[in-house]
Amino acid sequence: MRSEILEQLKKEPGGDDLDLSWLDKPLAERGLRVSPSKRGLTLEEIATSSYGDIPDVTRNQSGRMRGAAPRSDAQSMQTLWPFKSASWSDSAMLLYEEAVQRQWSSATDIPWADLPELPQEMEFAMSQLCTFLTQVEFIAGDVPGQYAPNVSGEFFEVGLFLASQIMDEARHLDVFRKRALANGIGLLKAGPGAIGLLTAQDFTEMASTLHLVGEGFIQSMFRMGEMFAQTEVDKRMFRLAAQDESRHVAFGVMHMKHVIETQPERREEIHTYLDRMEGNLGTGSSQAGLTGGGETGEAMAILLGGGTSEAQLRDGYMKLLAIRKRQVNEYMHRLEVVGLGDRRQLMNPMMQMLLDPPKN
Amino acid sequence: MADTDTKDQPAQIPGIITPPALDMSWARVPTERPPKPQIGAEGFTLKLADAGAYAWVPDHWPYQNDTPRGSYPSKEIGLAAPYTIYDKSEVWADNAADLYELAIREQWKPATEIAWNSIEPLPDHIEAAWDQIFSNISEQQYNSNGVLMGWLKEISYGFHEVKLYLATQVFDHARHVEAFRKRALANGGGLGVQTPGFFNRTVYAAFKFTELTVYTNIIRSSFMLALCEHGEKIARSKADRQLFELTANDLRRHMAYGIEHLRHFLLMGSLDNRRYVRTWLERGEIMMSADLKRDKPLREALILALGNTVAEGKTALKELRQAQLRKYTLALEAATYAGHADRITDALREVVENP
Repeated sequence: MRSEILEQLKKEPGGDDLDLSWLDKPLAERGLRVSPSKRGLTLEEIATSSYGDIPDVTRNQSGRMRGAAPRSDAQSMQTLWPFKSASWSDSAMLLYEEAVQRQWSSATDIPWADLPELPQEMEFAMSQLCTFLTQVEFIAGDVPGQYAPNVSGEFFEVGLFLASQIMDEARHLDVFRKRALANGIGLLKAGPGAIGLLTAQDFTEMASTLHLVGEGFIQSMFRMGEMFAQTEVDKRMFRLAAQDESRHVAFGVMHMKHVIETQPERREEIHTYLDRMEGNLGTGSSQAGLTGGGETGEAMAILLGGGTSEAQLRDGYMKLLAIRKRQVNEYMHRLEVVGLGDRRQLMNPMMQMLLDPPKN
Repeated sequence: MADTDTKDQPAQIPGIITPPALDMSWARVPTERPPKPQIGAEGFTLKLADAGAYAWVPDHWPYQNDTPRGSYPSKEIGLAAPYTIYDKSEVWADNAADLYELAIREQWKPATEIAWNSIEPLPDHIEAAWDQIFSNISEQQYNSNGVLMGWLKEISYGFHEVKLYLATQVFDHARHVEAFRKRALANGGGLGVQTPGFFNRTVYAAFKFTELTVYTNIIRSSFMLALCEHGEKIARSKADRQLFELTANDLRRHMAYGIEHLRHFLLMGSLDNRRYVRTWLERGEIMMSADLKRDKPLREALILALGNTVAEGKTALKELRQAQLRKYTLALEAATYAGHADRITDALREVVENP
């Protein structure tokens, strides 16, 4: 900053009480001129120069955002995670920007007016499936939300991504609730739900249980929505939800990859979270139970088979088995991507039996 | 996405040989069959969907898990959730469902919907002044964003309209964080100095949800909204005008929720609630004043940005502070907390009168 300008400002009428040291000797980098690319002005574009230096460890316990000038008297929180590895995902910036671009409205982007009436048992089955999804979807908002206050401004992109996930999950609760209520049936029977996911005590545990397993399984199911969705309206609903879930899963996968690469000593610990989710601990609590049995499984079998006759049900359960097989194989693929390919040998036998042989 | 209890359920899919016999007991549960909605111009809204008994929100939510409102609760309730808010008066706002739908309709995309190329180079000290203001907004919004996300797991599932609305608010905050950071880095500048953080810390330390709402959706949003409305008038580029205008629009929704919730809390909750609110307002005002009083870079940046001369800037800053105070007290009036304009803390009055 040119000193004569500062002097001139101080000499102006009323300028005698100006300090201007923040202008004279700025403690944050200046002179950036970031221009938008074809994708607009994205977080990746502005993570440049010193603003792109994401520290592995920080002592910043105040509200200071990465790159801003510090104050020596700033209030301290002492609740912020100092380590990048605690929450970082290399995909956070990209996925956040994608989330912002791909928002949709359950009120207007689903052609509700075109929703035909299904045969009664099919309509009931869709409402039961949607009751289940209404129940569990926002748990995937509550769970990551609980960690957001610990994410320092040094790693703010993670905080922004979590906000986008919460927004997505709100829309999912909303769209499935609306679908249950759209065709005269309403909500049906609630299940045991997904409260167990809230027991996660650590961000990486959360990414293992919620992103790698829970959301991953739901994503595989939504991607096969063409099989159980009976109408174009339902297909669109599952397609849009699957697109959102893909981002959540990708965030978790990249976080897990970062953890495995930077903290390989956590590998066995992470396997214990997966043991729990797969039902290996003998608690009766398992991801393997989700949509495979009970009221949700039966509702899905009816939708997949096209009705309730014995032949239709048999066909429905066979298709449900195909969905389950895809869920398990896509889960295995995610494990390989994050560097946990050895899970193949450790996996719950009930899931292991559905695995395709390894590619090489 | 479930970590679900599979006890007493029919055979699971992996390994099944014979499909379980058709049961469909879930289709016979005594839940209400809703009327078919008449989809209007705004589409199939939450309010339209939640007809009849589905619209009824109990004063106390009885289920300690994720049972959706209007569904038939399972006998196998599994783990009790960590929710702490079961009383409607602690979170409710009658406008939550409408604000949720409105927020989705009004979402904007900072990367592509702001005319970033419209920003012309400014004199260094003016650019630095604006960047200081943008940095301040970005930091404050990150604080609201993180803390509010942390409160979602406190709110029980029966008040889903509130949870959904709050999801839009955290997503708005996220976009404010990124948009103003982008602006600070876009035109030859950079970030400024962090805030002293008194108010941030107060937001972190809120013990009650309504207390948090008073800090973020009433006090902070009033002050921020008045700043954005001021900014809109004096912005030097289309991009800056858009930023202030779009953020102001979001903040009006945040205030609308805050006002309606506070009104509900005061009218429907315990008689002590009015006294709690008074304490929260005092605390919030004092902490906001501590920030404003000690934040020399922000004060000077506002003086340089708001006027063509220092004297003009000082006058404009006083007008801004008065507008902020007015917005704040009017919000309280709207929430049925009347007469607070005469009971503002001395600390806040001082920073408004002598900014």
